[in-house]
Amino acid sequence: MNFEPDDNQAAILDGLEQLITTQKIEPPKHATLVAFSETLDAELAVSGFLDIAREEGFSPLDAALIVERIARLPLCAEVATSALVGPLFPIDALQRPLAVLCGSPLGPARFLPHARSLIVVEDENVSLISVTPDRVVPVESLFAYPYGRLESVEGLAVQRFGRDMVTPVLRRWRLSIAVEAAGLMQAALDTVLEHVRTRKQFGRALGSFQAVQHRLATAASTANATKWLALRAAWSDDEAICAMAATYAQDAIPLFTYDLHQFCGAMGLTLEFPLHLWTYRLKALLGELGGSGGQARAAAELTWADAA
Amino acid sequence: MEFGWNEDEVRYRDRVRKLLDERLPSNWSEIAVHGPGSKQQTDFSKSFCKTLAGEGMLIPHWPRAFGGEDGKSWDHFILGEEIWAAGEPRGPQYMNVNWIGPVMMRYATPEQQQRYLPDIVAGNVIWCQGFSEPSAGSDLASLQTRAEKVDGGYVVNGAKVWTSYAGLADHCFLLARTGTGKSGIVILLVPMTSKGIQVKEIDALIGEGDIHELFFDDVFVPEENRLGAEGQAWEIISYALQNERIGIPRYAFARRILDRAIAKLKADGRFDDPVIKDRAGRVLAKCEAARMMVYRVVDERAKGAPPSAFGNLARFSVVQADHAVSDFMLEYMPEGMLGDDPMQQAHHQRAIAAGIASGAAEIQLNLAARRFLDLPSE
Repeated sequence: MNFEPDDNQAAILDGLEQLITTQKIEPPKHATLVAFSETLDAELAVSGFLDIAREEGFSPLDAALIVERIARLPLCAEVATSALVGPLFPIDALQRPLAVLCGSPLGPARFLPHARSLIVVEDENVSLISVTPDRVVPVESLFAYPYGRLESVEGLAVQRFGRDMVTPVLRRWRLSIAVEAAGLMQAALDTVLEHVRTRKQFGRALGSFQAVQHRLATAASTANATKWLALRAAWSDDEAICAMAATYAQDAIPLFTYDLHQFCGAMGLTLEFPLHLWTYRLKALLGELGGSGGQARAAAELTWADAA
Repeated sequence: MEFGWNEDEVRYRDRVRKLLDERLPSNWSEIAVHGPGSKQQTDFSKSFCKTLAGEGMLIPHWPRAFGGEDGKSWDHFILGEEIWAAGEPRGPQYMNVNWIGPVMMRYATPEQQQRYLPDIVAGNVIWCQGFSEPSAGSDLASLQTRAEKVDGGYVVNGAKVWTSYAGLADHCFLLARTGTGKSGIVILLVPMTSKGIQVKEIDALIGEGDIHELFFDDVFVPEENRLGAEGQAWEIISYALQNERIGIPRYAFARRILDRAIAKLKADGRFDDPVIKDRAGRVLAKCEAARMMVYRVVDERAKGAPPSAFGNLARFSVVQADHAVSDFMLEYMPEGMLGDDPMQQAHHQRAIAAGIASGAAEIQLNLAARRFLDLPSE
């Protein structure tokens, strides 16, 4: 048991920090619902960070540390699916960025306007559809991810990977939800902490009121619990623990985002204030893969499959 | 970063489980339901802790100089997890090994160590914690029990309340006031047979014999029974509470009880209900999240880092998990509270105290807000 990064992990995270510094990443200067950065996305791919789980001697935990760190940035990139789900597929079978859907391939999917491959999970099969931006209709929404949907699958190349791929993809998808949520929660919390330390009402900093302090301390407990359970899930790559981690994260998102927005008042409802860049990614993750109920039932079934 | 157990730790956990399997009597659940402060559990703890001592599993984490084995922090925690998951058969003596002994090793005089530690090492003594008062619960520093300095010692007058295990305790770890403020508090190690002490049991939801009122009427305490210097008490209390707050792996008992509950729901054909499955999955996630929060604190401790405010966050997550399990069973298995399952009731009684004992959950949030989040005070 060791909660500190080992030498390899520290080196990965140092390299990532250097990339982030080089990119001079700041919150968008203009009001925007979505802050997708093609440059950041491409740099992460070119630098090899998104393929780390494929490398010998590295693991999903190393990939998860990257996902968590990038999720804390105000700009978003397609990282979680590429770093955690992508390595399940042969490297020459897919092109990134990736999008992922459950059920119909025609539903709205995160990152689809930029994606080159769409992973579709059905009950008995996993398909990989090669997509090009001209086949995607952008979907506008409040969610702080770029969304789009395929107009049709006609003429698109489809690779089928069969039912054996369903369980691994669901496992890593759940893991990616939990790990990304952990990074988003921490960044959102940090933003609100800064606000309540400086914003004064009734002659005092908002953060000095106990009613505010208790809820933010609770949020800190939630963010940290999400992170450590998600990282344990990544380390184990265990189906049940990945489902537990996603359950915990999705279950916590409604109260967590409610409290954080409350303490920013009307300012938190504007696009000028960057809180939504994290909270509206969290709200998008809340509904992934059947929502918290879907993950909770899966966690229960997997954990107690043999209980009698 | 990795979250696995090494071979030694796996072997150690197996050894603890084997011991518990072999040495806990078949009627342990009937004993446990009486509560950790009951005569039944107290009597049982005295024989069971002797057994643990004989197997080197009572105080393995203590230094060899004090009778321990210089055990690793993680081994101590594994021991605590397994014992708490079994319903804490050490009864009141968990306090002795978790914090009273360690506090004495750090702050007591050699004479005091010689006087008090051997009985703890032998698993043969009960201590109670004379902290809370009618007007000083979470606000512990406002305590009013007086310790007046006299020739050769102190004369104590005042009242304590919510004192666990006092009815059968041999000694009281008492906080009393010699002056004003936190520096005006003194710690006295008081024999419960001292003249002028009166103990009154409080009927409560958390088990018979568990909490008490304690009255001190001109109780003389010799000076050699003072722990630490005058003015040092708050430092000692802070150290004690750091050990106490994460000392109890409550999520382990909660998870064990949840596993039992699911086995019963499955046997009764009720686990296919998607609502029950949904709720069970959420509660399970809370337990495992709390486990990871506590493990992070133990990891800090194992590396010799000073205690951090992360422990306050961890304690809060443990309280949430404990209550979630209890509420799940109240909703879907109320029959357990109606005589069907003594262990369910035992868990419930511990869970409802989890966010109150040793500093309320809201105190943990206060501390976390100031020390972990760096939020301003009023």
